[in-house]
Amino acid sequence: MNFKSALKPLAMPLALVAICAFFALREPVFLSPRNLTQLFIEFSVVATLALGVFMIILTGNIDLSVGSGVGLIGGVAAVLVFKQDWPAPLAMGAALVVSMLLWTLMGTLIVKQKIPSFIITLGGLLIFKGLFWLVIENSTIPVSRGDEDNLYSLLTTYYLPSFAGLALAAAIAAGSAWLLYSARRARRSHKLPVEASAKAIGKWAATAAAVFAVVIVCNQFRGVPLSLLILAATATTVYFLTRHTPFGRYLYAIGGNEEAAVLSGINVHRVLIGAFVLMGVAVAITGFMMTAYSGASTTTVGDLMELDAIAACVIGGTALKGGRGTVWGVLFGALIMTALLNGMTLIAVPPELKFIARGSVLALAVWVDVRFGRT
Amino acid sequence: MIATAPTPCILETRNLTKRFPGVTALRDVSFNLKPGEIHALCGENGAGKSTLIKLLSGIHPHGSYEGELRVDGGAATFKSIRDAEKSGIAVITQEFALVDELSVAENIFLGREPMRHGRIDWLAMHSRANSLLAGFGLAIASETLVKDLGVGHKQLIEIVRAIDKKSRVLVLDEPTAALSDQEVAVLLDHLRRLRDAGTTCVYISHKLDEVFAIADRITVLRDGASIVTLGADTATIPLIIKHMVGREITDLFPRKPSVATGKTVLSVHNLTCSRTRGEAPLLKDISFDLHEGEVLGIGGLMGAGRTELLMHLFGAWGVRHGGSVNLRGKPVDHPTPTRSIRDGLVLASEDRRRYGLILSQTIGFNLSLSSIHAFTHKTKIDAPSEYLRNQQFFDQLRVKAPGQSSIVGGLSGGNQQKVVLGKALMTGPSIVFLDEPTRGIDVGAKLEVYELINRLTAEGKAVVLVSSELPELMGMSDRILMLCEGRVGGEFSRREFTQERLLAAAMGRTDTLAA
Repeated sequence: MNFKSALKPLAMPLALVAICAFFALREPVFLSPRNLTQLFIEFSVVATLALGVFMIILTGNIDLSVGSGVGLIGGVAAVLVFKQDWPAPLAMGAALVVSMLLWTLMGTLIVKQKIPSFIITLGGLLIFKGLFWLVIENSTIPVSRGDEDNLYSLLTTYYLPSFAGLALAAAIAAGSAWLLYSARRARRSHKLPVEASAKAIGKWAATAAAVFAVVIVCNQFRGVPLSLLILAATATTVYFLTRHTPFGRYLYAIGGNEEAAVLSGINVHRVLIGAFVLMGVAVAITGFMMTAYSGASTTTVGDLMELDAIAACVIGGTALKGGRGTVWGVLFGALIMTALLNGMTLIAVPPELKFIARGSVLALAVWVDVRFGRT
Repeated sequence: MIATAPTPCILETRNLTKRFPGVTALRDVSFNLKPGEIHALCGENGAGKSTLIKLLSGIHPHGSYEGELRVDGGAATFKSIRDAEKSGIAVITQEFALVDELSVAENIFLGREPMRHGRIDWLAMHSRANSLLAGFGLAIASETLVKDLGVGHKQLIEIVRAIDKKSRVLVLDEPTAALSDQEVAVLLDHLRRLRDAGTTCVYISHKLDEVFAIADRITVLRDGASIVTLGADTATIPLIIKHMVGREITDLFPRKPSVATGKTVLSVHNLTCSRTRGEAPLLKDISFDLHEGEVLGIGGLMGAGRTELLMHLFGAWGVRHGGSVNLRGKPVDHPTPTRSIRDGLVLASEDRRRYGLILSQTIGFNLSLSSIHAFTHKTKIDAPSEYLRNQQFFDQLRVKAPGQSSIVGGLSGGNQQKVVLGKALMTGPSIVFLDEPTRGIDVGAKLEVYELINRLTAEGKAVVLVSSELPELMGMSDRILMLCEGRVGGEFSRREFTQERLLAAAMGRTDTLAA
């Protein structure tokens, strides 16, 4: 039992290392700065969406419509830029508003009309797919006119200069050290228990080293991709929301026991609609990045992304019935899914086997969680 | 005990010790069961009763504890509940093991459906179920869905099921916590008959009257150790209580006379409500006032509408057809829990596992759940001050757990109740609704709840206490409102309290009322 509980926090890092080692042995290019940068961009796209889905799953709900939503919202922005000649920021802003409205509508239907989220978002999956194809008229719409760059296209093609990346890493290391220090000082001044300083410093050092490692690897190619920064901002926001705000508390409480949450005076309707609005924001950001990464809006953008996002959450230890999960877990889950997809593409696994592998990994991850998760 | 030829024990424990991380739940527990006896286990919350049952029933498998468990004189190594059931040990716990969406008959025969030609024999199932129910004096159709039953009936269905499994040893964990007096009488009657037919029974209850009414022997557990085993004929209630708490309790209901100022904080006029729109009303024409510093007791039989009344006033139940509610002079037409808590009215629910707690979360998470905004500065929760406030309630309520980061689902009933109360009180209420606050908790913890009620009223808060136990209601209330089928059956001031009067009002016999 001790062995099991000791193994648990290491399970995901070990799985990730094993996957990377496997692909690196089969195809050394897997570890090249170029491929790793690609992997980070793909990771950013999947993880951003997964973080939105994470907040929905925490409440015990589900969102199946996000994949179609990614296509639709990316498509709306692309049409506004390419066909209507809107400036990219304005087009993206308008698409973001559309996304938030759609998800507010779904959240309201789920909460006020008491229709299960599974059904509403299953409907959303089909409706958004249809709307998407209508919007882009079943064609391919580039995200910029001609060859010129705009904010939209730069989302996945802009890289930070090397020195800026390093400066950013240093800033992150210093900033996190300061936050850690002031949190510990606050706890000490209230005479509260604090983590052993050696352990805290060790954790901080490991995180800082990881940040620097990512920057250095990226700098070997073109630099830190902008999309990774977008993910970092999203993850920080979601982390703050779930860990440090009443809203986040309520997400866990609703997923743990909705009836008790109501009687505790939580405005459950407002919190749930709020979670869906944030989902809309995550869908829009992902939609822009995914469409930009594809270079253009085409009918297949966003296909099956809802499954990758849900899988990332579940692999990362989020309970589908709600009330349990962490941002770190979701990020790890997304990284495992992305590494798997990227590696399989690299060693030219046929698409049919890719599907089978994705499904197997998902089932395996849940089995590991059920088997070793609760001692 | 007079020395007779030793009867073999049907079940015996020798020096059982069970450790959890941070707590030793049982230490050196030895007790034995003689065939055909009813053996009561008494002890405070956290004394180790539930853990002991879990060992007996195989939930904590052999190997996870030290000591020996013997059945019929041989060592028993239960690996699962199934193993224990094979040895004839059936456990009925406080949590219902019923499937809500299935019928009563399906639940009774779940896993052992009568079969005929490879198919379920529905006719046999329902007719057997009906005769079982009739034998129990229950007027429930076997085709009723379990979800449509009340808590008390669900409990009885569980008991019917276990008894029908013809177990040799029946372990009943708080079987009467949710039962009305008549239902309790029916149950005790059945247990006596089962005993006379040779079934052995372990009976766990906080209601000592019941224990003495039915038990042959009584074993007291305290702090995980078996303190003493006494014959019911030689023991007395004060003696058992003394062993349970390790000290003598002189006053079971320490209600101090109210310091009511007479200032009305809540007044209800001709309130009529139904569960949903278009249904017949369950609460009819209810009127009462609640004053600062008083305890208003609300009693009544099951289904009289006590819980519904509290839940409606709190904003969590029902649709209002008529009548008015005034909270400190302000009319309240559409209450919601959020608004009620903001206006200083809290409810500690009767069903703490369902309505009171997020079981998968920590004590601290639950304690501060209703008051988290008080610790929030510019959207960010101030973790240190939240922790300190939680710790203050954790210490004050004497929650027995390693710390406030323990998971609530693993606590005993009394400690869970303390968390529910702590959560309600942390909101700084001026009106506190307590729905069966002492259900399923032991004497010591009950006393703590009563003392808490005294503290609240001494601070000028108003308390509404709903209880099924008349002695508690009479002992702790300044005034009592008896409900009868959704109406006020009678209102009594403290000097008018007698069991007869209150019961008459609960049953709608206004002719016997001497007001």
